[in-house]
Amino acid sequence: MIINADDFSFDQEVINADKPVLVDFWAQWCMPCKMLSPIIDEVAKSLDGKVEIVKVNIDESPEAAYQNDITSIPTMVLFKGGKPVSKIVGFQPKEQIEQAIKEALDI
Amino acid sequence: MYDIAIIGKGPAGISAAISACSRGKKTIIFGGDSKKVLLSPLIDNYPGLPNIKGPELMESLNNHLRKTTTTISEKTVLTVYSMGTYFSIQAQDDIIESKKVIITTGVNFKKSIENEDKFLGRGVSYCATCDAALFKNKETCVIGYNEESIDDVNFLSTLCNKVYFIPMTNIKNKNIDDRVNVINDIPKEFKGNMKAEELILENSTIKCDGYFVIKDSYPLTSLVPGLKIDNSHIIVDKNMETNIKGLFAAGDVTGKPYQLAKAIGEGQVAALYE
Repeated sequence: MIINADDFSFDQEVINADKPVLVDFWAQWCMPCKMLSPIIDEVAKSLDGKVEIVKVNIDESPEAAYQNDITSIPTMVLFKGGKPVSKIVGFQPKEQIEQAIKEALDI
Repeated sequence: MYDIAIIGKGPAGISAAISACSRGKKTIIFGGDSKKVLLSPLIDNYPGLPNIKGPELMESLNNHLRKTTTTISEKTVLTVYSMGTYFSIQAQDDIIESKKVIITTGVNFKKSIENEDKFLGRGVSYCATCDAALFKNKETCVIGYNEESIDDVNFLSTLCNKVYFIPMTNIKNKNIDDRVNVINDIPKEFKGNMKAEELILENSTIKCDGYFVIKDSYPLTSLVPGLKIDNSHIIVDKNMETNIKGLFAAGDVTGKPYQLAKAIGEGQVAALYE
């Protein structure tokens, strides 16, 4: 399942989450973000519940973007135990995203 | 949806387009004429055409291309997205879809600014319209290698508190917004820890929140996210296919020798392989 988080729910959905979380920082006007969206859906499916996917719209949640040093979108940040463990900047094909997640989480 | 999209209109790209069309493929080709061919006074090692002049060859290649059903686009391709079973190609403000893509962009010997690649996406951007909103009410800097960069500068000046513009091209008689600080200096290096914090120029230093580098052709790593590269060449197998299924490369971009005959041959292989 894909969750949408904002400045208010970021701690609850990401920092305090039980499972590792892949946060997708995106915006409506961002073309690569639009391209990435269906690929993230596929990644979520193939990782089958091992990682939660949380989407953060940076226009609606500027604080979350600022706190995580997002200077370009799309950027995906993988959190484990509330801490960022990996950052993927820009669009990537499905295989590369999956590989980065698996390497960072050792799964 | 196109069957084949070719990025780069040099000998490899045109050869690929001719072969693709001969097999009835719906084909599109992007880019301007090969500068390398145009600047060759004499080519003396292409079999059957001894002593042909570069500009003559380019004209002849273009005439041949125009006889095919290929759609010819002058737009600059910013990014090729691998969507799994097809590709989405962002060519300036257009999105074009294709089942197969062939990269024939040639080699670019122009040096990037030191650390430009390291900080791409971390304070350095190649696309003002894509990332400008991240720098609303902040300070930005545009390093512009072409005339189009002036549009980006003027656009940013409507959003940002301050915009620096370092023109690397002739901007005489161009309409630049009064709020823009034009700096005539040569950029050398980006410096910073997690992100690009300052740009070192020959005679000065600029500190701002975001740096936009606007030029005609971009490094391969940003053209196709996820593409495997070895020393500025694309890695291909014997069918000219890259590590991304359905994405091919041909010509100088795959490595030496940088020769016309090799480019023509590789373009054909890339187009015909299914």
